Amino acid sequence: MRRGWMLAGLLRNPGPVIGTLVACMVTAVLTVAAIAVGTARSPSPLGRLASAAIVVAGSTSLEVTTSQGADASTQSVPLPAYRGIPDSLASQLAAVPGVASATPESGFPDGTTRPGTADLIALTLVKGASPVTVEQRVRSALRSANLNSADLNSANPNSAAGYTIATGAARGDLANINLPVERSSGQQIGFTLIPLILVTALFALAATTALAVSLRGRRYALLRAVGATRGQVRRAVLAEQALLAAAGGLLGYLPGAFLGRAGISALASHGLLPPGSADSASPWLLLAGCAAGLPVSVAAGLAAARRAARTTPAQAMRESRAGRRKLPVIRTALGLPAGAGLVALIVAAARANGAAAQEQLLAPLLLVALVAVALLGPVLVAAVAAAARPLRVTGPAARLALAGISAQPRRAASAVIPVALATGLIGAIAFSETSVAHATTAQSAAAVRAGTVLQAGPPGGVLPAGLLAVVQALPGTRGAAGITPVSLGVEDPTLEYIGGAAIGGANLARVLDMGVVSGQLNMLRPGQVAVSAIEASAGLGVRLGSPVTVYLPDGTPYRATVSAIYARGLPIGSLLIPASVTAGHTGAPTGYSQVLVSGTSHKALAALAAARPGITVITAGLRPAGPGGQRPEQVE
Amino acid sequence: MTTTNLALPCPGRPAGHSQAAEATTAALSGAPVRVDNLSKHFGRRRSRVTALDDVSLEFAAGSFTAILGASGSGKTTLLQCAAGLERPSSGRVSLCGADPASLSDRKRTLLRRRHVGFVFQDFSLLPELTVAENIALPLRLDHRHVTRAAVGDAAARVGLSPAQLRRLPPELSGGQQQRVAIARALLARPDVIFADEPTGALDPHTAQRVLSLLRETACGATVIIVTHDPQVTRFCDRAVFLYAGRVDAVIERPEPEDVAARLHALGERATALDEMVNAARSMA
Repeated sequence: MRRGWMLAGLLRNPGPVIGTLVACMVTAVLTVAAIAVGTARSPSPLGRLASAAIVVAGSTSLEVTTSQGADASTQSVPLPAYRGIPDSLASQLAAVPGVASATPESGFPDGTTRPGTADLIALTLVKGASPVTVEQRVRSALRSANLNSADLNSANPNSAAGYTIATGAARGDLANINLPVERSSGQQIGFTLIPLILVTALFALAATTALAVSLRGRRYALLRAVGATRGQVRRAVLAEQALLAAAGGLLGYLPGAFLGRAGISALASHGLLPPGSADSASPWLLLAGCAAGLPVSVAAGLAAARRAARTTPAQAMRESRAGRRKLPVIRTALGLPAGAGLVALIVAAARANGAAAQEQLLAPLLLVALVAVALLGPVLVAAVAAAARPLRVTGPAARLALAGISAQPRRAASAVIPVALATGLIGAIAFSETSVAHATTAQSAAAVRAGTVLQAGPPGGVLPAGLLAVVQALPGTRGAAGITPVSLGVEDPTLEYIGGAAIGGANLARVLDMGVVSGQLNMLRPGQVAVSAIEASAGLGVRLGSPVTVYLPDGTPYRATVSAIYARGLPIGSLLIPASVTAGHTGAPTGYSQVLVSGTSHKALAALAAARPGITVITAGLRPAGPGGQRPEQVE
Repeated sequence: MTTTNLALPCPGRPAGHSQAAEATTAALSGAPVRVDNLSKHFGRRRSRVTALDDVSLEFAAGSFTAILGASGSGKTTLLQCAAGLERPSSGRVSLCGADPASLSDRKRTLLRRRHVGFVFQDFSLLPELTVAENIALPLRLDHRHVTRAAVGDAAARVGLSPAQLRRLPPELSGGQQQRVAIARALLARPDVIFADEPTGALDPHTAQRVLSLLRETACGATVIIVTHDPQVTRFCDRAVFLYAGRVDAVIERPEPEDVAARLHALGERATALDEMVNAARSMA
């Protein structure tokens, strides 16, 4: 007799396990795609830097050290805008032994240049010099330059922080100085969404596996009756699940890799990954990702098989005929704390002061909800079946369906849980987006008092310089304000860049009603900052008059006093700072993306727009903070 | 005790039969199956049901016994307790010289695997395994080498053709499937064969042929058949009647007509008892 007859039997009749196979495959697809997206690399051609052995650039990340007593912690976040490096450093670096030449390079990546500032300094070495040794010397030179520089945004003046030194392939990254932020945005999406999707997939896999094994309970009972030991039953399940997980994983490899590429392409097209990004994961890493479902599938199968193997064969055969009516005690006992935790989190979220605090609770709430639903599935199914008993009067089909669910809540739960988890996850994401969009529209409509808005034509563009002054000088103008979305760094308490706006003009209250809670927002002067009520209470923890440090897109600290706290934070952003402060620090041309006008006739403004190309005149509405001329708001 | 006349010669035990099994067989003292004061209850407190109530029986080596009774009389529970598939609430079972309840699960399984064969009403064949694989299953689980010839021989003894060995159980008729189950039970040369309603799903003609086959091929094994079909007793040395979990009567060399009359009487008593219980409940 040939060996492997059990597995041969499985292949002959795969029907009962096809669900497990598909679940393993889906898990593998998602895991492989997640790995591919998470490890996506953008092309970093060396271009002009090919001949430079060492490249020195300014800081590409903001580092802030907070010292509380003896404890000091440093937080770091990629800068939305790169401000370059003083070109005067080139002469200092040229003097470093081993350096043949130090050339300031500008115009990376978009050709914009700033006087006195280089994008980077390319160093060539004298013949025979060791790049490693020279790099150490360059580092020392930069450290001493730091000591003499009060201007540089350096967390520790005794280090070379504030500079980026690249050798080898890393030099290519500096050819596109915006890469870190774009990568960070893509990674943020990966860090928040992908674990949730994977947890859902793994729960669904566990439920499907448990269902498949329990449906085969009679088979295992029969094996026990004809002489299989518990260990043999467990090993049979182990072998089956391992085989199915391996087969499903392999089947998921190519679709997963394809999905990963599609995901990278989609993220790149939305600006969340650098253009031209491609998956760079090793095929072996992706192959390892295929095995993600294996431990879960095997563990879930073994748990179900252990239950089947522990009961006496006679009992198992009785149960497999009738199904297990009893609700699972241990599972319910574990699920109840999860359910209680979910309720506590929902209450906490409802009581949380503002959207920022609620948003912080979103991920744990979603995870706890997934766990609670997965564990309490049979109880919920039994409860729903009990609540639906009145439907029995609708006919025999409903009566039979309800009887079937009530008799076997575990099996019904195994089928329901994956659907419930997927629906919950997608619903949470979809509804949170539409809720925010709805609230933004509502707040935007309430906030804009201006009768007319002049807007830069192409997305990301800016209105001509001096337009605000021209509009203010027009007859009949009662108020005019210019607004530009801008990313601003804050410690709330995590160091991060959030969406805000740079605002300029006078009599702001005539064009904007931000729902000021305290202070005044008729004019914003240098040294002042307006903070949304949510950010003030749940994020920064500031009040009117509090000092606060805001970091401009290029990392420059802006120390200001809170002059206003406003309620309507969604349309424009959580922070408003004077436009004059941000000028030259955003990495983008100076100017407003929108000018809000009140009192001036629409005709006069239309004539103004006609005389200057690239201006769109709209009667009302604001472009939401984020995808304007600036870097998009950091995804939280 | 009646000696079974075998129509077919019984080959010796297959090579590889464990020394432990031989030792256990040697330790048999008299009857391979005996139950003493056996009771079995299901449920607790108010929902408690007594399936077996102080049953004592002895099944002699090589005997062919039918256990009969109305539905719910405890027939299947008696078989399962005697076979070590179910743990009795009280009393003692002796199966091939050992008390299954006192053994660990593994040793109880090994005892069943090496000394006991099963034939169930619904054939209990694994649908994804071929007929040959189903027949060889108990020996494969015991890590014993099974040759095609041995499987073919066992199949031939129950009238299955070599071509049928390669087919899957769902492709066979009910009678053919039960032959496969009998071949599976016989291949390991068990000391005891437990059959739970082996003809329950078969037409009378096929049932007669299957029982005849079982009788012919049992090879000296002690056979205990649970049934409600009086015709089964035609092939039995003894008929044991259960009523409400107790032994009501034991008839040696039973005649189907007498068995049918007694079963009918037991059925009447059971119906009357049910009506009394229901009336008492409705009054309460």
